[in-house]
Amino acid sequence: MDSTTKPMAASKLKAVDVSVFYGEKQALYDVSLNIDEKSVTSFIGPSGCGKSTFLRCFNRMNDVIPSCRVAGQIIMDDVDLNSPKIDPVLLRARVGMVFQKPNPFPKTIYENVAYGPRIHGLAANRQEMDFIVEDSLKKAGLWKEVSDRLNDQATGLSGGQQQRLCIARAIAVGPDVLLMDEPCSALDPIATSIIEELISDLQNRFTIMIVTHSMQQAARVSQKTAYFHLGKLIEYGDTKEIFTRPQNEQTEAYISGKIG
Amino acid sequence: MNDHSNSVSSSPGASGLYSAPTDVRMAHIAAGLKKRRAASKRLRFYGIMAIVTAIGFLCILLTTIISNGYTALQQTEVAVVIEVPAGEILDDAGAIDAEKSRNFNWAGLVKRSFRKEFPEVTGMLEQRSLGELLSANAGYDLRLQIEDAGVVPTGPVTYWVKASDDVDMLMKGRMDRTIDEKMRRIKDDQLVWFDKTVAKDNIRLVFNSTFFTMADSREPESAGVLGAIVGSALALIVTVVLALPLAVMAAVYLEYFAPPGRLTDFIEVNVNNLAAVPSIVFGLLGLAVFLGFFGMPRSAPLVGGMVLALMTLPTIIIATRASIRAVPSSIRDAALGLGASPMQTALDHILPLAAPGILTGTIIGIAQALGETAPLIMIGMVAFIVDVPTSFTDPATALPVQIFIWSDSAERAFYERSSLAIMVLLLFLISMNLAAVMLRRKFEKKW
Repeated sequence: MDSTTKPMAASKLKAVDVSVFYGEKQALYDVSLNIDEKSVTSFIGPSGCGKSTFLRCFNRMNDVIPSCRVAGQIIMDDVDLNSPKIDPVLLRARVGMVFQKPNPFPKTIYENVAYGPRIHGLAANRQEMDFIVEDSLKKAGLWKEVSDRLNDQATGLSGGQQQRLCIARAIAVGPDVLLMDEPCSALDPIATSIIEELISDLQNRFTIMIVTHSMQQAARVSQKTAYFHLGKLIEYGDTKEIFTRPQNEQTEAYISGKIG
Repeated sequence: MNDHSNSVSSSPGASGLYSAPTDVRMAHIAAGLKKRRAASKRLRFYGIMAIVTAIGFLCILLTTIISNGYTALQQTEVAVVIEVPAGEILDDAGAIDAEKSRNFNWAGLVKRSFRKEFPEVTGMLEQRSLGELLSANAGYDLRLQIEDAGVVPTGPVTYWVKASDDVDMLMKGRMDRTIDEKMRRIKDDQLVWFDKTVAKDNIRLVFNSTFFTMADSREPESAGVLGAIVGSALALIVTVVLALPLAVMAAVYLEYFAPPGRLTDFIEVNVNNLAAVPSIVFGLLGLAVFLGFFGMPRSAPLVGGMVLALMTLPTIIIATRASIRAVPSSIRDAALGLGASPMQTALDHILPLAAPGILTGTIIGIAQALGETAPLIMIGMVAFIVDVPTSFTDPATALPVQIFIWSDSAERAFYERSSLAIMVLLLFLISMNLAAVMLRRKFEKKW
């Protein structure tokens, strides 16, 4: 176990008996799993299976929905993120999120990336901010394309560029964890493959969780995969195992395209 | 075709046209099409008729107002040769002495000088009725002209002073001189003097600058709308300063922070109800609370503005909530996902994007407040005020109230002035609405 070629990734996050309710309706049933540090974990499953809801537990985005209630524990570095004592604002500076649809602010490219560091006071002066913006855009693989037009409107970029800008924007705050909620579902295949490459690059720095509808994508980018169905975690394990030798019939049926 | 339809109706089990051959069905549809086309044509005609009727009424309204009001842009003046007794006005240094000038009987001087033009008029009563051709404020007119010039000319000089409102009406052809003398405001002998003055070319129509530079007066020729415009402006400043921040804060709270529940629902329903409350009720509220309970000054633009702010509040709240809701939720998610606090999310992203909508709603609300009369009457802004207000607590009136006051006056000259004041009010309203449209267009492009 401890002497494999690839060092065993440490558990960064741990979900313990997480259940989510929307009003009376339960959307997630007692989900428990461990997320490895600096690796990509993908959540797959048919629409409405609760995978996005589960993802949003990790940065408390479910707080925004008034009727939503989350039970159970999300443990990161021995702290329960789901505790009312945790300030979601502080948490979201550590756990960044990229959304399904590219959602840049209708401001300049520079302002989009600089907004997070600015509200958290991460840059002491203009030079530091310039550095953060450049570094984040480089990490997101967008610097070459936009370095000469940082003051252009972000909404003028293509869909794929916008999504990479959103990744740069999330990176700029300096998070440990990146949550991606179907980041490629609104993009064409070429933009999708660029983002997938980017995710592979980023996994050396961040712990990444990605929700995806594309099983090929899950197979390509992630080390671990969790399959959800009707709010329950059906199977969780190494991506290779899940896609080649699924233990559960439901997982097999989904992967082979019989349900979903 | 008939053959087909016959065969269809006789075929067993067929429920009419549904199972008929295609050409029969198409023929049936084609036959009905004529009717349908006629129906849609008719509907179009009704629509056009409705619009034509509405525009027609609007045209009638505007034509009436303009044809009644445009003559108020001019004022009749009469030339009088006057020799100002310099000794009674100047001080020792030869400058005009304010004290002496104020005490000097300018009106008497103008009337005496005017009488010289008519040496044949000798009787006391006749002389008085001759003086009535000039404005009661003609002396004040002359005093202003002399004081503005700063020098008292020696010898007789021709001055133009305002004619009385009746002469003004006669000059503009708004008085029928053929009706019985008893029914006429200008008597027969006055008519003779008027005609003589006209014959001597001692009467003229000039631009009525008084209307735009003075406040209300008992004499129509001295009355202006400036006092009312300033009163309205002061009240609306108070309205914007109070209503805009309150309404925006209330809207942001209701949209983003209010916990869902009965209380929030109750507040929401009542905000909408408030928009439908008759404005006079807000006036009564202002009277009872602001004047009665807090003892604020009567007739003041401050209180008027506060009452109008209450009235405008729901309009702006509703407009703001609508434009906040129009901002895509993905923007809010993006900001929250970066760790922005709800306040930062609202101030940095939502409000700037909602600003054009908020602005438009505010301008429309303010335009509505500008045209509001009833609540201002309740708090005493209907008073007769001859000074242009200079502060928020000065007694003042407002444009629509001024129109109301003038339309209530007996003098024919006030009638045309109220029409002109309506034109001024409409001009303000149209330009405000135009500004709202232009602002919206301008900002929408950027977004």
